[in-house]
Amino acid sequence: MMRKLPKYRSQMRIYVDIMRVIQRENNRAKPTRILYGANLSHDRLLKYLEELKALGVIEETDGEERLYKLTQKGVEFLNEFIRIDKFAGAFGFAI
Amino acid sequence: MVGPRWFVGFDSLMEFVAFIIAVAIAYQAFKGYRLTKQKTLLYVHFSFAVLSAGLLIDSLAGFLGILARAPKGLVAFTLVGYTIYFLAQVLAYVILIFAYVSQTRTLSTTSVSLSLVPLFGLVALQAAPVPAIKLLSPLIEYHPVSEIVLLFLVFYITVQTGLNYSATKDANAFLVFLGFLLLALSHLLFILIPFSSLLFVIGHLLQLFGFVSLLSMLLRVTRTK
Repeated sequence: MMRKLPKYRSQMRIYVDIMRVIQRENNRAKPTRILYGANLSHDRLLKYLEELKALGVIEETDGEERLYKLTQKGVEFLNEFIRIDKFAGAFGFAI
Repeated sequence: MVGPRWFVGFDSLMEFVAFIIAVAIAYQAFKGYRLTKQKTLLYVHFSFAVLSAGLLIDSLAGFLGILARAPKGLVAFTLVGYTIYFLAQVLAYVILIFAYVSQTRTLSTTSVSLSLVPLFGLVALQAAPVPAIKLLSPLIEYHPVSEIVLLFLVFYITVQTGLNYSATKDANAFLVFLGFLLLALSHLLFILIPFSSLLFVIGHLLQLFGFVSLLSMLLRVTRTK
């Protein structure tokens, strides 16, 4: 059978999973929601959130509660990734 | 000249359309590679880039042959164009097969055994009463040997894309499978040209439809919001 799921998720796939959770949460996601939604440990979640912030695709909102949202760059990246994922998937390649 | 006289030029035109589609697929694959750094997408890019170069050269050679107006000129141009196109196709399909093998890290038994199906055709052709189809005849345009090599390679890719479609049941996967299936059928018909020159026309039509199927997938994917 083609498109066997890899044993571990690529870094890119984890980034996208985090961003998808944020998008699903109406672009305002709590860290705990991301943690469960993207299936990550707390340490790994913090590491990836920092990396995504450094890339400029997500940002922390100001306020009492710590929330994360996608930036415009993040929305564009996610949309492009979905297209590429479908394109690669059509040939049977997993990203 | 391999096909019917009335078809001269149409084959080059169809190949030019296929060239544009192959460039579009190569471009999309490169965009994907730039974003994800996924090597398989780079292989898809190179595969379709090489294929598009072959299609362009064969198509232009065909047009130049028509402009030469002399039958000898037409034959010379188309022969050079076809030889380059043949080599480009071999390289393109080998790269794509390498992409499949590198992803699965193994040659699946199903796909390899199914890919051997064209070999039965090869054996059958040896028993054919048509002398032109004998494998030891001089190398000419749409020679059975070169077309069998291409059929063998495309068939492997067709099996892989077919397995992918059966696993995912995705419309885009079906369009890719259909595209390669039509390409494989076109090579099968090119092998059988000695039986009827009309098969040359049908083969080119199937090849074009194969690329149109790949274009449909590309348009569906790029329109995703």
